[in-house]
Amino acid sequence: MTTCEDIRPRLSDLVDGTLDALDRDAIEAHVRTCDQCAGLVRDFDRIRRAAQSLGPIDPPPHVWLEIAGQLHQATPRAPVAPAPRTPVAPAWQWAGLAAALVVITSGAYVFLRLERPAPVRPPAAADGSATGSVQVFADELTAAMTHYEKAIAELEVITKTNNGSLDPTLAATLQQNLLVIDDAIAQSRTAFTHDPTSVPARDSLLEALQRKVSVLQETVALMNEIRKGDQAGAAQVAAGFPKKSS
Amino acid sequence: MALADRCRAGAPEAFDELYRTHAPRLFGLACRLVGRPDAEDLLQEVFLAAHRKLEQYRGDSALGTWLFRLATNLCVDHLRSRGTKWARLTDALIDDPVGLAPTTGSVIGAVDRLDLERALTTLPDGCRTVFVLHDVEGFEHHEIGQLLGIADGTSKSQLHKARLRLREALATGRRACP
Repeated sequence: MTTCEDIRPRLSDLVDGTLDALDRDAIEAHVRTCDQCAGLVRDFDRIRRAAQSLGPIDPPPHVWLEIAGQLHQATPRAPVAPAPRTPVAPAWQWAGLAAALVVITSGAYVFLRLERPAPVRPPAAADGSATGSVQVFADELTAAMTHYEKAIAELEVITKTNNGSLDPTLAATLQQNLLVIDDAIAQSRTAFTHDPTSVPARDSLLEALQRKVSVLQETVALMNEIRKGDQAGAAQVAAGFPKKSS
Repeated sequence: MALADRCRAGAPEAFDELYRTHAPRLFGLACRLVGRPDAEDLLQEVFLAAHRKLEQYRGDSALGTWLFRLATNLCVDHLRSRGTKWARLTDALIDDPVGLAPTTGSVIGAVDRLDLERALTTLPDGCRTVFVLHDVEGFEHHEIGQLLGIADGTSKSQLHKARLRLREALATGRRACP
């Protein structure tokens, strides 16, 4: 005779429909006469259905920004020996970092403006018309600017939210760097507005936007390292600023 | 060009698209397997690992499937590394007597999703993982066996134990909140 103890381990298989016909008939016959096992089957089925309705969960925005920041840092560097973690860095070290940031970020920015590669000409339209070329050119620029401006807006939210985690000297330095870049963005935008077909104006504008994204990504990465109490990681992030503009 | 190819080619928006397409499902998986506090770090690990390993992706399976497998492996590694006695746990559960004392009829009624999410957090890591992969993500026992390195029968028994424990947790919750 089939008992509940024999049947119960297989009730999940019954709910999942994975029993062969013979076993299924035998177990269903038992369930029809046993309230306890019938209750288990009903509850298992309810749990299974509810589980199937559990959907994806949107991650918070800062997760992507931290990923993007880390990908941006992925350029090869000389290996750095791991240092023991200390929760708070001495103020003089942050001041040193801040000074280094002023020099390297501004220097890299000026260098990039001078050493910019030869500009790419605007693509020609399919019909070869100048109007078509300008339109394609404008569309590409609009798409690129939308991308950068969206990234900048998201990054600015994160950096403003977590600004308190930065040493005031370092925060002021970063702010100063961003103001320099904002000024370059404004100038490039004005130049481009006056001559929408100008490749140098376009390149200059995109480069300035990209530079701002880079600095903000680095800032988020820096905040992340500070949050984790990783002084060595924070110093490494700061040291990487000039290399991440490409 | 396929998304994987565009990511490999370094197209500016490709990895962003990869993330926005697949992150919610992978984050849901991570939240349910390792808990919300660790899930954010794990999601970062998943996409950084994907970025490093995209060269190895040959297109034998869908990109989403490849990412899901990568995420599952990282979640399981995480559970193992945080001290879970994975093997012993999975073995012990087979004969572990759990569940309500014999009761007549159904004890839980309709199951609310939030109640189920909460009840999931009360499960041991091993049977929670099998339950999430089977009942939430729709994997078969032989696929779960391959993913977790356990026998199909172990996967089945884990699922059964998970459902018994969830039933108990949900019934307790109902009794606590009339």
